[in-house]
Amino acid sequence: MKVRVKNCLIWLSIWVFSSAAMAEPFVQGGAIGSQTEDGFNALGPVVEQPIEFPHNTHAGQMGINCMYCHTYARRSGVSGIPRLDKCMGCHNLIESVKDRPRIKKLFEYWEKKEPIPWKKVHDLPDFVRFNHERHIQRFYFKEDRPVREVCGYCHGDIASMTTARRVKALSMGWCVSCHQKEHLESAGTTKTSNGPNDCWQCHK
Amino acid sequence: MSLSNLIKNWSSLRVKRPYEDQYKDKDYKWAMVIDLDACTGCNACTTACYAENNLPVVGREAFSKGQAMHWIRIERYWGEGEEMKGRFPDRGAQFLPMLCQQCESAPCEVVCPVGATHHTPDGLNSQVYNRCIGSRYCSANCPYKVRYFNWWQYPERAWPNPLELQLNPDVTVRSKGVMEKCTFCVQRLTEAKGRARTEGRRVADGEVVTACAQACPTSAITFGNLADDKSQVARTWERQQIKLASDRQEKDENLRGYRILEDLRTYPSIVYMERVRDSEA
Repeated sequence: MKVRVKNCLIWLSIWVFSSAAMAEPFVQGGAIGSQTEDGFNALGPVVEQPIEFPHNTHAGQMGINCMYCHTYARRSGVSGIPRLDKCMGCHNLIESVKDRPRIKKLFEYWEKKEPIPWKKVHDLPDFVRFNHERHIQRFYFKEDRPVREVCGYCHGDIASMTTARRVKALSMGWCVSCHQKEHLESAGTTKTSNGPNDCWQCHK
Repeated sequence: MSLSNLIKNWSSLRVKRPYEDQYKDKDYKWAMVIDLDACTGCNACTTACYAENNLPVVGREAFSKGQAMHWIRIERYWGEGEEMKGRFPDRGAQFLPMLCQQCESAPCEVVCPVGATHHTPDGLNSQVYNRCIGSRYCSANCPYKVRYFNWWQYPERAWPNPLELQLNPDVTVRSKGVMEKCTFCVQRLTEAKGRARTEGRRVADGEVVTACAQACPTSAITFGNLADDKSQVARTWERQQIKLASDRQEKDENLRGYRILEDLRTYPSIVYMERVRDSEA
């Protein structure tokens, strides 16, 4: 009898451990088991950029609006990576930081007349159509929410990072979970509406 | 569809579709008019569709098996002129551009086992490639035979390097095993709708057209928004006494407008204008 119970316990423990190992949920990029801040198992990989751009200094300490550099977000499907002359427009005039290593690197690219080969961090699959304009127009311009919050819905709190890292799942279920919520139509009203739930709105 | 959406729109989901004035208060219902009298059968629409929608050229062998992927095709019919072939060799040919009719009561939608094809709020019959498992049931049930199946993995063959650079980034490149069909160039529609919405208006008539309508040298194809009374398409439909939600309607015999296989009660979104022929001459 005792042996049987012991056997059972062994088998049970094997089953528990093996099923726990097998039941690894769907991972999209990133190391297995890395969690996003809202509980999704999909923390993006660390992307090495040519210059370790400090978002925390620009957007965090200086409080520069995200759309000063990512200027197309409000009027186009893509938000856009700023051109080198955008960086130089300010940094030509900021003498105090010109001797920093990252700024020196920036000037090197400028002297060589080469664009900085930034790498994409938030990369959606090719069959998905995401429109920055519609989201920015709705939440930033109509609902009048702070820009750090609006961009942060999908990008996380970039203003506390140096180079950006994907911290949201950017999966379909995650998109839909927000589209199903009631959102105010504009700042002054109490009228709400959902995001579209039609397949062809996002799938192309 | 979420439960809250189901509860919220219960009354509209319970009715038989399509019903009269279904799109009266809606912003969009995309529709088309094709004037067969103007169509010369030049195939420019087909070519434009291939370019816009990343359609692969399948090659001679697959084509002969009927596996061509043309979302819009020119069908040839030989009419009364045939007897006079000796005198006027080309007289009898009639052309009919056939594309997805974007039926309001689409036979393909109801049979899909995985819900890969369904109806969008602006009256399109959508096809979601990610969801399609390739049962081909929709194609079997389509009376117009305008659904095309990817029997092979075409992309590498159809666009060898560097031809992949010609692909339209707004349209998915389909892989083997999925069904595809005319989308009324939904990528253009979505973009136009987004732009209009930012500016707080409705898409104007003629602001967005499908690739086939854009390419047609004789303007035989008219595309527009049926929910907008003043659009060219809506006015033609009204002039031809065709209503979206009725089949076999009573109308003036002299009118040229008709919808193909209306008796099947598919309620297509495309009106064809019959060719005017002078068989005496």
